[in-house]
Amino acid sequence: MKKIFLAAGLSALMMGGSAMAQNIGASIARFDDNGLTIMRNGMTAHIETLDGVNLQMEDAQDDVARQLDQINNFIASGVDAIIVNAVDTNATEAMSNAAAAAGVPLVYVNRQPVNMDTLPDGQAFVASNEIESGTLEAFQICRNLRAEGKSGGARGYLMNGQLSNQAAVQRSKDVHDVIGMDMCNFMELIDEQTANWSRDEAQDLMTNWMSSGEPFDFVIANNDEMAIGAIQAMKAGGIDMADVQVGGVDATPDALVAMAAGDLDVTVFQDLAGQGAGSIDTALKLAAGEDVDKTVFIPFILVTPENAAEFQ
Amino acid sequence: MADTSHGIGGLTYDKKKRSLPGELNIFLAMIIIVVIFEILGQVLPYMNGQSFLFDTQDRFDTIFNEARLRIIILQVSIIGIIALGVTQVIISGGIDLSSGPLVGATAMIVMSFAQTELVNGNPNPKAVFGPWAFDLPVIIPVLVGLTFGAIIGSINGALIAYTRIPPFIATLGMFLICRGIAQAWTRGQPVSFPTESFAALGKGMMPVFWFVGLAILMHIVMRYTLHGKHTYAIGSNEDAARMSGINVKRHKVRVYMIASMLAAFAAIVLSSKNLTAQSGMGIFYELYAIAMAVIGGVSLTGGRGSIPGTVLGAMVFGVIQSGFTYVKLDAFYQLMAMGGIIIAAVVLDKMRQERAAARS
Repeated sequence: MKKIFLAAGLSALMMGGSAMAQNIGASIARFDDNGLTIMRNGMTAHIETLDGVNLQMEDAQDDVARQLDQINNFIASGVDAIIVNAVDTNATEAMSNAAAAAGVPLVYVNRQPVNMDTLPDGQAFVASNEIESGTLEAFQICRNLRAEGKSGGARGYLMNGQLSNQAAVQRSKDVHDVIGMDMCNFMELIDEQTANWSRDEAQDLMTNWMSSGEPFDFVIANNDEMAIGAIQAMKAGGIDMADVQVGGVDATPDALVAMAAGDLDVTVFQDLAGQGAGSIDTALKLAAGEDVDKTVFIPFILVTPENAAEFQ
Repeated sequence: MADTSHGIGGLTYDKKKRSLPGELNIFLAMIIIVVIFEILGQVLPYMNGQSFLFDTQDRFDTIFNEARLRIIILQVSIIGIIALGVTQVIISGGIDLSSGPLVGATAMIVMSFAQTELVNGNPNPKAVFGPWAFDLPVIIPVLVGLTFGAIIGSINGALIAYTRIPPFIATLGMFLICRGIAQAWTRGQPVSFPTESFAALGKGMMPVFWFVGLAILMHIVMRYTLHGKHTYAIGSNEDAARMSGINVKRHKVRVYMIASMLAAFAAIVLSSKNLTAQSGMGIFYELYAIAMAVIGGVSLTGGRGSIPGTVLGAMVFGVIQSGFTYVKLDAFYQLMAMGGIIIAAVVLDKMRQERAAARS
């Protein structure tokens, strides 16, 4: 509580000090998530380039109730705009209502709110289009397999992220959709399981799969951490990484190293820092009363060994 | 947990209750679970008659599917190391909830001292400290990790022994503190790219080697040394233990310190195995470690249980986890099934204890 009073007092002081200063409050689902950390850093870096904009960032600690409290506290302390990276995308209705009632602009970032179609005026969503990522990944794996002459039939595994997460569900659906296309229907999934975005769980899952002894040609993971876990398990199992197509999403530094080593074949760069910066820009536009599209898309980029150097 | 006067027996605990028969039961339960999976493998149409533990495709020299046997133990080794320490904490009548976050915090700190300077010829993109911390001999990160574990553990123990707050509260507080340390250390950024010698600690089957080695060591400590005997005595009846001249406070500090050092070591092996440290590592590890001990016959009221029991409890976990993947159980149902099995195991163990008590 003390911290909130302090923040409120501090922002009041700042507003008093400079009439032009803009105050933005941001509530992030969790500070210890790797991807969200890149996004957070993108926000802080962008703020430093802007004059007279203050950013107050709070950690919602994956707690829906705490996040709503934070938003109400932002409103109470009179911020000019609020940015929300939702803990639970199903719980955004109350947040939208609270902000709309107070007349404070609200920007959702990275995670799509459930009330997307009914967002009140002065609210927007900044993210990458999740349908792109899984599709780009699976389609490139499909092309690589074809190029290797495996279009007669290829079998493999799909590693899901957290099952309660919308991005994971969407990316897996994209993979199924790509496999359903005429050009890629030679691909067959032996099994799909969750490894909860985690490298450690992915290692164990892959080793479990390999213990069945079934030959396979590809492993598609919903994120890079799981793809790296799968690679580590396959290498420990003596599998030649040249024989297996492995795909992930995120283009993390670790993944780019794995790609340079020839282990990871495909990943997709989600411009998280760009999303963070985009959310600030959108919030400022809304605060200034400008017209903003309800959805602001920051594109995904396919990363293969050919262009990997650009992302390092 | 402070109320141990209703514990089983007096200072002279009943030796029968922690010798072979108990562990044999867990072993039988494990065999039953294996048999269930074998039957499912034959019955389910999409399994093509593949066996769970046996080599049906002639891939190995022995009759077993060696790859499956390896992963069953490998995937529980790291939490198993934590469970060894938790076992002696629970036997002493306490509980340790801080081990999972301690794994996260230790991994972050240890990995910062285990980084290489160059990654594929480029400077390490994840460097935490300056050049002095690159390519240190492997003993440095290991010692840093164990020292950190020892500090956290002795704070846990001192809080419980000297301020007499319940172990649940003391270690819950430490749970939050450690997760905070893990996040604050690099402000949420993961730490990667360790030296080769550090990476060797958790490579391949090394986690199993550490788990088995430490289990043997802890078994000797619990069964044949004064430390072990005093731990059982305190857990059975703390007042009696104090009156018979055991320095209960000092002993408790030692018990929690050993538990946290084992959790810290688990973090070293985990970060080495994964070649990365992340602040979110070790989520639910404390609960799984406690569950392994409890399935292994360790009583939450203290004074009863054993290291071999906990090792078997860990193996039961491994069998279930591999079995789920083997029968391709839909991931949406795995947690439910796991929870059900944990409860069933403890209920069965409780019934067996009551029958045994009624007989004697």
